[in-house]
Amino acid sequence: MSRHWLKQSERGSLFLIRLITRITLLLGRPAGRLLLYPITLYFVLFSRKARNASRNYLKRVLPQPIGLRHIFRHYHTFAATILDRIYLLSGRQDYFNIDIRGETRLLEQLKDGRGCMLLGSHLGSFELLRSLAATHPDISVKALMYEENAEKINQVIQALNPEIADMIIPIGRPDSLFEVQEAVERGEVIGILGDRIALDDKQVKVRFFDQTCRFPAGPMLIAGLLKIPVVLFFGIHQGGRDYTIHFELLTEGFHLDREERWQQITEWTQRYANRLEHHTRQAPYNWFNFYDFWDETGNTPK
Amino acid sequence: MLENEVATLIIETLNLRVDPSSIDPQAPLFTEGLGLDSIDALELAMSISKKYGFQLRSNDENNANIFASLSSLSKHIESCRTT
Repeated sequence: MSRHWLKQSERGSLFLIRLITRITLLLGRPAGRLLLYPITLYFVLFSRKARNASRNYLKRVLPQPIGLRHIFRHYHTFAATILDRIYLLSGRQDYFNIDIRGETRLLEQLKDGRGCMLLGSHLGSFELLRSLAATHPDISVKALMYEENAEKINQVIQALNPEIADMIIPIGRPDSLFEVQEAVERGEVIGILGDRIALDDKQVKVRFFDQTCRFPAGPMLIAGLLKIPVVLFFGIHQGGRDYTIHFELLTEGFHLDREERWQQITEWTQRYANRLEHHTRQAPYNWFNFYDFWDETGNTPK
Repeated sequence: MLENEVATLIIETLNLRVDPSSIDPQAPLFTEGLGLDSIDALELAMSISKKYGFQLRSNDENNANIFASLSSLSKHIESCRTT
């Protein structure tokens, strides 16, 4: 019943997040960006666990032998997006060059005021969604996330942009999804990250990078129960100030069949995993799940 | 009795492999006991709305108590039902 990985696997990266946030708030983005190099180097050299997590993943996706420079680049990409997150959260998207692709796919689904699910992942930056708020102030986005995470993030967010705290729906309470249902009925967008599972989550097995892998069944179950469209979201860091956002339509909504339910959920989750794999191959260093993602015992990092 | 009816509704909605009479009316429904989660709650709420004609809302401060057990859920349904 523990949210194991939430507490453990990210202890290292959480340290990184805090350090970078503090430095950037204190000294500004240019200084923060400069300091990313020594910080990343220190982290890569002295945290064996971080190194291993990165190396094991990179071995899977890159054809060449993995050296320290690849691992360095991986963590540096992660660190850079953390730094940028501070700017995105405080409404400074003007700072970035954001290339948005497929935005009409999202807007079309929202046209009739029926709401939809925006399904993201830990590939790249989900905070880029904030830029949507700037260009489309009429669209309301609520993020569904675990309370423990929400609290941690809230501490930072409250200081930067108190409005955003209202955008978070904590999951894990019996009535969490009532709030989601009500938001959708108001025509709002529900943001969910669909790649990580907690121990007691409902799960399905899909193929991901040529191996069986467990994914949470929750997002597709929610979409099916509420019969809402699902639009995929990938916010990829391209280096420097450049980001690309991809919106892709996964489904305009489907009806959950009682008998075939798990087959349906597996199929839709597989399609999501396929798109995630596609974008991960395009931007391998944007993968920010620093633990054994394919672990067959249930994705719990050791 | 409503409690039995609600127990049956829970089992049928969520496809559980237990006997309605085996659900302890005082035992927790969520996490422990039956081990339901928030997705089960949503599905259950949708069934309740269909069958008893009222909607469970997120802003009800009593939600934790309502979902505490079969007994408390049945009492809530009894007081809110329109059908």
